[in-house]
Amino acid sequence: MSTNHSSAIGSAVHAKKAEIFCRDEARVDWHSKALWMLREKRDRAAASLPEWEQLRQLGSELKLHTLTNLGHYLEEFEKNCLDNGILVHWAKDGVEHNQIVHKILAAKQVKKLVKSKSMLTEECHLNPYLESQGIEVIDTDLGERIIQLAGMPPSHIVVPAIHMKKEEVGDLFHEQLGTEKGASDPLYLTRAARAHLREQFLSADAAMTGVNMAIANKGAVVVCTNEGNADMGANLPKLQLHSMGIDKIVPDLDSAAVLLRTLARNATGQPITTYSSFYRGPQTDGEMHIIIVDNGRTEMLQDKILAESLKCIRCGGCLNTCPVYRRSGGYSYNYTIPGPIGIAVGAQNDDTNSIPWACTLCGSCSYVCPTKVPLDKIIHHHRRLKAQAGKLPYGKRSYMPLVGNFMASETMLNCSMSVARTALRVLPGSILKPFSGAWGKYRELPVAPSSSFETWFNKNRGK
Amino acid sequence: MSSKQSILNALKKVAVEPQALPTFDVAPRIDDVIAQFETNLNTVAGTLHKTGGVEALQAHIDELTAQGKQVISTTDGIKGNRAVPGTAHQLRDIDYAVIPGDLAVAENGAIWVNNKNLGHRVTPFICENLFLVIKADTVVANLHEAINQIGLEQGEFGVFIAGPSKTADIEQALVVGAHGACSLNVYLI
Ligand code: SF4
Repeated sequence: MSTNHSSAIGSAVHAKKAEIFCRDEARVDWHSKALWMLREKRDRAAASLPEWEQLRQLGSELKLHTLTNLGHYLEEFEKNCLDNGILVHWAKDGVEHNQIVHKILAAKQVKKLVKSKSMLTEECHLNPYLESQGIEVIDTDLGERIIQLAGMPPSHIVVPAIHMKKEEVGDLFHEQLGTEKGASDPLYLTRAARAHLREQFLSADAAMTGVNMAIANKGAVVVCTNEGNADMGANLPKLQLHSMGIDKIVPDLDSAAVLLRTLARNATGQPITTYSSFYRGPQTDGEMHIIIVDNGRTEMLQDKILAESLKCIRCGGCLNTCPVYRRSGGYSYNYTIPGPIGIAVGAQNDDTNSIPWACTLCGSCSYVCPTKVPLDKIIHHHRRLKAQAGKLPYGKRSYMPLVGNFMASETMLNCSMSVARTALRVLPGSILKPFSGAWGKYRELPVAPSSSFETWFNKNRGK
Repeated sequence: MSSKQSILNALKKVAVEPQALPTFDVAPRIDDVIAQFETNLNTVAGTLHKTGGVEALQAHIDELTAQGKQVISTTDGIKGNRAVPGTAHQLRDIDYAVIPGDLAVAENGAIWVNNKNLGHRVTPFICENLFLVIKADTVVANLHEAINQIGLEQGEFGVFIAGPSKTADIEQALVVGAHGACSLNVYLI
């Protein structure tokens, strides 16, 4: 049951998938509601803390501080890791990352690797690489395992199989894990996966996880899961690997506490994930490796606006609230990470030059973000970069005389978000629709809110 | 040039305005931290036992072992029927693990556990059911307070545990018992 993510993420496949997704109105509604439920839970969790806005401000400031001193903190982190007996590797891109991982695994003759969720390894396409080298890779987060068995990439960064119905998971498990035919009860299916994956944990030669935070002054990494899969992996085989983007660094434990307080609340409305694990060294007689990856991040730091997307802690909150994501699904973004943050960090490499337009600039994402990533501003900036580079989206060229000038005009691109929103309201749908991509094809464009959530909030509820 | 050097070089100049590290001065909610802890522990699907102390817990464990359950304890004064095995993998049939927590956090129901008290690191995850034992005076208001009190020496592992393992990956339906323990009972002593 090998998976081939690289073929499934080809842009043609994605466009087709998004289209199929959007044709099924009932599924679109169901998907949208499931995500809105997460948004509502998040709202309740946020409202339960009087200090919520203070935490968002602190989160933003500590992340910006770290990003401006990243070299210093990375070196401090490495030094402390070495003192703790942790081996540290540096990779400039995904290819080098994958080679490093393979070298570590090959040195120990690893045949089976259990992996917990890591968007970075998705970004690097690690699984197909290791599989091509003869190493079996088992994704162990339930949602990740489901899509791995189905041969699909994740459609959400926190709940990767959110697009699948329980009946579909039931059919898949029947085929691949031998569960009863027609069984679709989530409890039954989860127990079956638990039993199946337990055997994998117990027979794995090595474990790999992503990193939620890397604490510079301790030389420790923090890994958060609800399922316990990261810890079942990292604490059974004697070889543990953790991959992290350079943006995962925080200066100290106090900083980590701020982010830990908002991460789960903003993701699913839980006060904290079930497990927040701090690894500050290997097991007795074990080996612990950390791979620090750039893969385009240092380049983003050279652009004042794009740099702020590196404040992201991957909570998924902006996906859950996004009217376009909710109604188009995770496969319509032509990038491993979908939704507003996917546009922010993926648009540079989007060869269809279309994803910056999968956005209504409603600002809801920026309003929910726990580290105040200015997502709508970044997305708007991407439109300008694309327009400046003469790369308006394929299929949108015929609208160039009108829309091209409109989108690229200085006034339009320099104007405030609220003007852009006005444009969305006043321009006829036929002009703007081409910019909405697959998600707008089968329905009317969402009505742009008359003011951003933040303005609205300050006006109506603020202070 | 090594990749490390080229990354560090690229970071010498960034476009972000310099920004000081903020001071973390978040006011704690200090009213009845134990009640807050209990409410949040319930939210994360754990159960708190406030009365009976060590004796009641030991009596409960004796019942379990009499039924043939496999119980391992790393808590002072509590005895199970299994010793810490030679390898972590030998814990695969443990039904109950009884582990001491260093401190508990009122705002989220989490308990800090350090590997000094674990035998093998995997113990609180691999056991079918988890009992955590905490002292009432170790409950702190929030994570800011907790994080400054956790013990995490060089080479160590520690974890905040909030409830039993869980998932909602199939149609958002909450299922308690994913890969880690399927239940969590917390004993206040
Ligand atoms: S951009 Fe903000 S809201 Fe979106 S995933 Fe990142 S941290 Fe969460």
